[in-house]
Amino acid sequence: MSDRLPQPMAADGPAYAAERASATPAHVWTQAPRAAHPRDAHLPRPAGLHALQTWLVEAICGPEPAATAGVVKDGPRLSGAERLDIYRHAYSARLQECLRDDYPVLAQTLGDARFARLCQEYVARHPSRGPSLNAFGRHMPELCRSTRELQSAAAFYAELASLEWALVEVTHAAGPAPLSLQDLQRVPPDAWGRARLTGSAALRVLRFEHPVNAHYQACRAHGEVLPLPAASPSATAVYRRGVELWRMDLTPAMTRVLRALLGDASLAEALGCIYVDASDPAAVAEAERSVMTWFQSWVANGFFSAVV
Amino acid sequence: MNRFSLPHLGIGVGLRTRHYQHILEREPAVDWFEIISENYLQTQGRPLYYLDRVAERYPIVMHGVGLSIGSSAPLDGDYLRELKALHDRVRAPWLSDHLCWTGIAAQNTHDLLPLPYTEEALWHVVQRVREVQAFMDAPLLLENPSTYLELEDSIMPEWEFLSAVAREADCGLLLDVNNVYVSAFNHGFDAQTYLAGLPKDRIVQLHVSGHTHCGTHLVDTHIGPVIDPVWQLLGQAQRLSGASVLLEWDAEIPDFEATHAEALRARAYMGARS
Repeated sequence: MSDRLPQPMAADGPAYAAERASATPAHVWTQAPRAAHPRDAHLPRPAGLHALQTWLVEAICGPEPAATAGVVKDGPRLSGAERLDIYRHAYSARLQECLRDDYPVLAQTLGDARFARLCQEYVARHPSRGPSLNAFGRHMPELCRSTRELQSAAAFYAELASLEWALVEVTHAAGPAPLSLQDLQRVPPDAWGRARLTGSAALRVLRFEHPVNAHYQACRAHGEVLPLPAASPSATAVYRRGVELWRMDLTPAMTRVLRALLGDASLAEALGCIYVDASDPAAVAEAERSVMTWFQSWVANGFFSAVV
Repeated sequence: MNRFSLPHLGIGVGLRTRHYQHILEREPAVDWFEIISENYLQTQGRPLYYLDRVAERYPIVMHGVGLSIGSSAPLDGDYLRELKALHDRVRAPWLSDHLCWTGIAAQNTHDLLPLPYTEEALWHVVQRVREVQAFMDAPLLLENPSTYLELEDSIMPEWEFLSAVAREADCGLLLDVNNVYVSAFNHGFDAQTYLAGLPKDRIVQLHVSGHTHCGTHLVDTHIGPVIDPVWQLLGQAQRLSGASVLLEWDAEIPDFEATHAEALRARAYMGARS
């Protein structure tokens, strides 16, 4: 156990200010189209609106270019296949851009080529179905875990993706007025042990097998590819205070107490998670001091929205 | 000047996250802002915090990319309900989306895909525009998209199709003059013919923006300053329609003053009324 004060780190950056819904990818849609290679010259011409749209979606999103004769007109300077290829390229570029917005440090750590391959795999496995892209990237931690190319480092990449996805989630989470110390002072002393706290919707507590937040922080600070860290357990709170995003490292004892509180334990039950030797008065006194310090910091950082 | 008596808002700028802080701190003298509706859907957090504060100070109009009015898949009820809640929140005088489709039920391309300009597609879109306007209880404007391919099935040009939809569904138009310019280059039609073929009294809003020349085709990237031929089209369309003007700038976005200054260049091309 430690009574050190947490040091919140601002997590804001231009990536989280990215416009998400634009139909036009910002950077990568202006390449010259590649000539398509028809895979099936005998494809029947789609008849009617639904058949045509089904055909076009497959032709744009599918793995191979389609034969376009009889469906797409040749243009003044481009063939039908080349014109279709503009849309094929845009589809992939747009979704990759979206994932890069959500996972800037994962992209930086993997490098452009590996991140692009991961995105291709992502788009193939998890195509977008709804009109909003705000939640499109939510499967990335799971994909990292199961991607063979990431090999022995897959667990680290998955944890890094979890941290970055938590930042996206708290950006979009509701932000009700946080509980204040004054609110807590209204709880009668004899009710403290039974009191339960409601966690903020804009808070995530993450446990890792690697020092993920330290790697994230170093990458953001230095803007360069850093070596992957060795395994070493860590925990981080990711949260939004007002409009700003923050990360706060947690010790194991802090993590146990905080997770218990967020899991609907009473204050007395949560404090029991510190695992202090009750027969040692000095240890008990230190624990009480530490908990008060943590608690004040968590409240000041808006970790809770209500007390009952 | 439009047949719907919708207000003339002046010259606006697309609201972009990079400008939030500047707008709230400096409160620049901008006539109005247009939001990308989808940026404020499926969120209860920071985007809405900023939007609410901008909406307290400026008129807001909603512009969408996800309605998929031409899709053969059913209209997305959840999306429409969210859109209506957003409309009620910002009290937009109208909302707009594109004459396009973005996907079918199983897959969304998030692109503004061209429709076949056929009788079947026409009546399909007309029916859906009627449904959306009735559900939203607000005017819907349809925007001409930039497109990069044409379909063999089409039996009429885009401007005829768009005009017919507007007439039969009784909706307004958002004329994007850059899209006219881009598609005219990509498909080899005359931008003047396009403009002449539209019902001017249904044009409520105009979009203007930059694009990227890729040699064989133009791409509607909303990047950089607007080129003079597009400003000329804007001036022509604005004088004919009296419509509100909005600059879109979505890639390599400069600071707010530069963006707004670019939008205000429209004054030099518009009629005396504006």
